[in-house]
Amino acid sequence: MSPVVFLAALFLSVPVAIVLAVTAIWYVWESGNTVLYDSFAQKMFAGLENYGLLAIPLFMLTGELMNEGGMTKRLINMARVFVGGFRGGLAYINLLANMFMAAIIGSATAQIAVMSRAIVPAMESEGYDKGVAAATTAAGGLLAPVIPPSMMFVIFGVLAQVPIGEMFLAGIIPGILLTLSFALVITLIGWQQQFPKGAWMAMPEALLALRDALPALLIPLAIIGGILFGIATPTESAAIASLIAFLVGWLVYGELKPQHLGEMFKRTAVNASMIVFMISAASVFGWVIIYEEIPQKLAALITSVTSDPFMFLLIVNAALLLVGMVIDGIAAIILITPILLPIATGSYDISPYQFGVVVCLNLVLGLLTPPVGIGLYIASSMSDTPPGAILKALWPFLVAVALVLILLSYFPSLSTALI
Amino acid sequence: MLFRISAFWARIELGAAALLAVTVTLLILLNVLTRNIGSALYWVDELAIYAMAWMTFLGASAALHHRNSVAITLLPDAVSPGARFVMRKIVDIVVLAFALCMLWFCWRWFMPLGLARSGFDVMAFQGSTFNFIYAEPTLTLGLPKYLFWSVMWLFALGATLHSLAHLSGAPTAPKDAT
Repeated sequence: MSPVVFLAALFLSVPVAIVLAVTAIWYVWESGNTVLYDSFAQKMFAGLENYGLLAIPLFMLTGELMNEGGMTKRLINMARVFVGGFRGGLAYINLLANMFMAAIIGSATAQIAVMSRAIVPAMESEGYDKGVAAATTAAGGLLAPVIPPSMMFVIFGVLAQVPIGEMFLAGIIPGILLTLSFALVITLIGWQQQFPKGAWMAMPEALLALRDALPALLIPLAIIGGILFGIATPTESAAIASLIAFLVGWLVYGELKPQHLGEMFKRTAVNASMIVFMISAASVFGWVIIYEEIPQKLAALITSVTSDPFMFLLIVNAALLLVGMVIDGIAAIILITPILLPIATGSYDISPYQFGVVVCLNLVLGLLTPPVGIGLYIASSMSDTPPGAILKALWPFLVAVALVLILLSYFPSLSTALI
Repeated sequence: MLFRISAFWARIELGAAALLAVTVTLLILLNVLTRNIGSALYWVDELAIYAMAWMTFLGASAALHHRNSVAITLLPDAVSPGARFVMRKIVDIVVLAFALCMLWFCWRWFMPLGLARSGFDVMAFQGSTFNFIYAEPTLTLGLPKYLFWSVMWLFALGATLHSLAHLSGAPTAPKDAT
């Protein structure tokens, strides 16, 4: 009965966290093991007693502060210095700015929301097709959870019990690969559609743009540098990043109003508790997975089909693309990691880092695939473009992600080389 | 009336959650600072984790009032308004059932009656129930852990209040779940 309860509750739009908890309650009742109820609430609390999880509210706060602090437009301006002069300049600016932003923001939906508002109108007024503009922005948002910091990687690291700092490092090469593949897509579409020509900035103007953006670049430097050189844990570097974001936005750029801090902390609390609560519920749901031996049963099924790790990852990718159409991003990673990770590491000897990168990127893609594609709808509402028009321009990017996923599945070193 | 209480309580929960988010941030910054001047405070990490746990459960309860928890809205979005109304009521019932279960779990865990029966003598309580909840210490804070665990009561009570208020058919502006 438990699977029925799970699916019925999920599709009736019961909050995902409560679906997990209710399924666990039902399962315990059915199995007659009701002594587990005595420790049910304790287990939910214990699911949060993890130092790594602290990074989630802190990275969210950094995003909030960055948003209010006027960093977005300065980062876009800096991107203009490097790629503004090419044909389709603004499309490349969009991509490069997304890459900078991804090194500050850890959430695809947050980044898509910010960037759609910031850059789609500019692209449209320069003569780009609105669908193409919004699609480029939405695709660029996929970089957020791959390039560190990444909310997905924090959660995967917590669930998989691997160091979050190393998980971040694992995302760097895949992030660059993804950026390059998107650049290629933009080039191809640009040829075909004759993107407007861009203009290079004059030297003094370019220097000014670089100078303005420099303080904002302290944030990714603090995050990646802190982790790379082992100075700070990801949690600490997130706190430092939020402090820098606050100081730069307030004192250097003069755009962040300290009296707005209250609202920002409130939004941080709302958004972080949404995600962290799902992890709490997932810890009681873990009973169902463990007592039902779901990974073992699934492993027996899959190992009878293939013994090749690459084939296994392809099967996982195909299955998760379907999952991603219905359940997005972080909710999906919380659901599938405890089931699939033991199979990947146990039966196929796949590195948890490689598996994490592949699975996270795959499920992030779900944010852009209908019918449930929050990222797509955010891009649509923020840029005032119908989802259909975005989807029509989006598919080359989706194909690019799929190809990158295959590469990442085939070459483990793309994920593990930097660790 | 019930809805007004629910809204009021959600406001308090959110305010407290925001303060706890501030606390988490300051504690971790304090950690960075004290570690770099060579006098690390050993209790900061644990306190920060409990602050986050409190933020999470208070925020999650408030999210039930605002109906902005993460949910799969594929089906309700696709059906007629009438069917959607019915579905929403079913969701409210499921959430209420969950909240009542949580209350029951907290009751079984904290055993307030048993504690009262032993005259609030923890040793006698433990002797008769083999429930050691009131003896469990925190690792570094020097406080008993049940103080921090008590947020589960707040969560269970808040969730019960919010789901009851929704179920009693109050005028809400339904928000999209994102």
